[in-house]
Amino acid sequence: MCGIAGIFFKKAETNPTLGQALVDMLDGCQHRGLDSTGFALYENTFKGLRLRFIVDDDAGATVARVKAALAEQGAKLVNEKREGASFVVEVEYDGEIRPFAYAMEHAAKLVSIGSALDIIKDVGTAHDLDRIYGIKSIAGSHGVGHVRLATESEVKPEAAHPFWATGFSDVAIVHNGQITNYWKMRRRLEARGFEFRTDNDSELIAVYLADKLAQGETLELALEQSVDDLDGVFSFLVSTKDGIGFAKDRLAAKPMVMFENDDLVAIASEEVSLNRLFPGRPLSTTEPAPGTFRTWSR
Amino acid sequence: MVTLDLAQIPVRDANEALRAAAARGEDIEIVNPDARHHLGVGLVAPVTVKIRGSAGYFCAGLSHGARFEIESNVGWGVGDSLYAGSVVVGGNASAIAGVALRGGEIVIKGNTGSRAGQVMKAGTLLCCGNASFLAGYMMYGGRIIILGDSGERVGEDMSGGAIYVGGKVQSFGADAKLGEMTPEEDADIRAFLNKYGIAFEGEFQKIVNAGTKLRYGVNEPIARPLPYTVAEGTYWNAKVAEDIHAKAMIGRYRIRGYGAAKTVPHFNDIALKIDPERIQAASDALASVNLKTKLGDRSGAKPLELSMPVLIAPMSYGALSKSTKIALARASKLAGVVENTGEGGMLPEQRAEAGQLIYQCLSGRLGWNIHDMLKADCLEIYISQGAKPGLGGQLMAKKVTKELAAVRGIPEGIDLRSPSRHPDIMGADDLVIKVEEFREATGYKKPISIKMGAGRVRDDIKIAYKDGFDFVQLDGMQGSTGAASTEVLENMGIPTLAAIQEALDGLKEIDAGDDMPIVFMGGVKDGVDAVKALALGASAVAMGTAALIAGGCISCMQCHVGNCVVGIATQDPEHEERYKIDVQAKAIARYLEAVRWQIATLTKALGYTDFRQLSRKDLVALTPEAAAITGLPYDPDYFPVEHLLTEVA
Repeated sequence: MCGIAGIFFKKAETNPTLGQALVDMLDGCQHRGLDSTGFALYENTFKGLRLRFIVDDDAGATVARVKAALAEQGAKLVNEKREGASFVVEVEYDGEIRPFAYAMEHAAKLVSIGSALDIIKDVGTAHDLDRIYGIKSIAGSHGVGHVRLATESEVKPEAAHPFWATGFSDVAIVHNGQITNYWKMRRRLEARGFEFRTDNDSELIAVYLADKLAQGETLELALEQSVDDLDGVFSFLVSTKDGIGFAKDRLAAKPMVMFENDDLVAIASEEVSLNRLFPGRPLSTTEPAPGTFRTWSR
Repeated sequence: MVTLDLAQIPVRDANEALRAAAARGEDIEIVNPDARHHLGVGLVAPVTVKIRGSAGYFCAGLSHGARFEIESNVGWGVGDSLYAGSVVVGGNASAIAGVALRGGEIVIKGNTGSRAGQVMKAGTLLCCGNASFLAGYMMYGGRIIILGDSGERVGEDMSGGAIYVGGKVQSFGADAKLGEMTPEEDADIRAFLNKYGIAFEGEFQKIVNAGTKLRYGVNEPIARPLPYTVAEGTYWNAKVAEDIHAKAMIGRYRIRGYGAAKTVPHFNDIALKIDPERIQAASDALASVNLKTKLGDRSGAKPLELSMPVLIAPMSYGALSKSTKIALARASKLAGVVENTGEGGMLPEQRAEAGQLIYQCLSGRLGWNIHDMLKADCLEIYISQGAKPGLGGQLMAKKVTKELAAVRGIPEGIDLRSPSRHPDIMGADDLVIKVEEFREATGYKKPISIKMGAGRVRDDIKIAYKDGFDFVQLDGMQGSTGAASTEVLENMGIPTLAAIQEALDGLKEIDAGDDMPIVFMGGVKDGVDAVKALALGASAVAMGTAALIAGGCISCMQCHVGNCVVGIATQDPEHEERYKIDVQAKAIARYLEAVRWQIATLTKALGYTDFRQLSRKDLVALTPEAAAITGLPYDPDYFPVEHLLTEVA
């Protein structure tokens, strides 16, 4: 139960307003969920891979476990930082991502791995997160965000959105809705060796899509199939290293509005979020039709 | 002309300023709206409101008589429950434009989203562009005009009114068909278009109700049913045979009134840890135990004031006769407790007789309007009912009289099946916007409660808490209903005790403390049950069936038929005449006094001076099942105290 937002800058590789734009959009629909907020930002500034972990009360021990696991996996630590509820590292690593990710998850709660992606999520509002993580000053090419009202699972940083496609670099998802064939879909993926960290249906969508991308399908084709394969009510945004996309269920029970011009495309649960980018200006917006999908990439 | 700048002031202040300006007869202009929600909701004045930009959800909702002009787009539910007046939108409208429209005119110059005109009752909704799927879904009356194309399933389950489509129709909904268009109708539509300066040369197709689903095909045989006691102890018993015979005749599920007949762990299976000797000494407790309480000030609204922690459970005018509703209202005032409208609107007589009245908003928005909202003491969003969680109300044709249909805004003489869900509450995120609409429309003065049937209680109660409700009315499966399928009544609900425990556990999980009161209902028979519920953690209890029985109900379970022999569950004047309002109101009030005495006596016998001192420590479970459900200690050495109370009395 939540609000979602995403923005893709068509021209610039790095737009200095990325963080600011997402904070504004999520603040606009914060009423849809006050429990937690999260951002998936694509920055294109990392040297190697960035990994972000949630650290619990015993942060020292967690950090030590992360470092030991990195060494064991042959990942060279380049940078490290404690920030809010998380511990961030940048590493040089050439191996396969999936076994690396699963191994690191045994050391600590892994939020994301990416060569451009960084997922920042925590309990609190968009402005709360900005104060702790300095979201507004983050520049980048595109990103998605989420405000959450927890219904079935607990309020804690790792249960916040966005969800990373566990085991796949640079894929993230924000989702508003409920996937009713969750367990059926999950068992199919588990039978093929995928691991899930949560019972959250958004994680499932992310892994489902990333799996298709890894098999060489386009994001567009993956989204087209998702509209048929996923059962329930949903409006979601997916982001990859190169772009973003959306899919919307046939029942259209969950809202989605978009605005597009020569410079950017912005998508959100409500128009009020889009209008935050252009205060005082009536926008020519459109609502994606039920059962449709679309992508933007560079 | 007053100008309100939403870049400078929040919506709440703007709506207040708007109402103040409208009261002075001044027109209003809103600048920098930036798609904010709830603009102009609850405005009751014939003024013009110009919105220079886009508006968000429920723009002009619950208003009466004003003329709204929105330059650009609107979000969900523009003109929600509009009573009279006009709304003109320059751009597109999102989902459920004109939801529950009760009159007036809505003109959308662009396209409309899905489910335009859902559960509308009267008035005109015009969409100049294309309309998405399910336009006119479950509409009861009025007209929808679509100049462009209509999406899938237009007119799905409509029971009245008409939809005119100028473009292509993608597909017809269930029970919708093409109708005959008269020249007068055509001229009337074109005059309407003219009035708003809209040019259209094409022809219309008219879509109306096909009439195949308005009534159940075969009625159940009317016969005095066998008592449920014949079902005890055996498998192929007479009750099972009776059920098979009836279904062999009608070929569908059966319907009846009243609550679950199945035995499940209930208040009888828990006991108060009370020393019997103390009951004797406590018989004068009324003077020395504080039973007064308040409900509904969590958000700063004016709370309901109760002389004891008891409410009348929500029951509709429809399921019950007007006379019964008046008697309940009168009794509630005599006893200093609160009456509830239930589904189907507020009767003026009921409002006049009740001291305090909760006004319920249900999925079909039957009889829901701003004027009665303003007259209510508390607004309640009904999500579901303990007897039939997840399903809408049912009211058989016999009870849908002309007068009743007028109050509800629906065609008379149909087997009314209310929608199972609200048009604009698809989840917790939408619900919070709906609650805010009601607060904005009534100036944040009235408590807003939620009535939920026990389903996923542990999750649902958290949503209620987070969405800011002032209190919750939680209903278990032992609660009764005016009509529901027997399969649902017996097999779908969650027993009241289990629901209570899940609610308390859920709130504990999110550290909610005592911040949000819960009213428990669903089989609360008397003051003894009430004390047990209060000790478990209720802030109050609500009684429905018990109040009806006190007022003459003979428990025949035939509430759905409409021929209630005592004039309670009927709309037939001949039957209703048997119900003597004054006599039964006094009987109900006397029963409530007995309940008061029971609560006071038991509270005092437990050693307390205030019912709020009751706690789980005062309870034990008499059966292993009740202990497992509630987590109370299993101690069969205690016994129910009802007979002791009888001896004292």
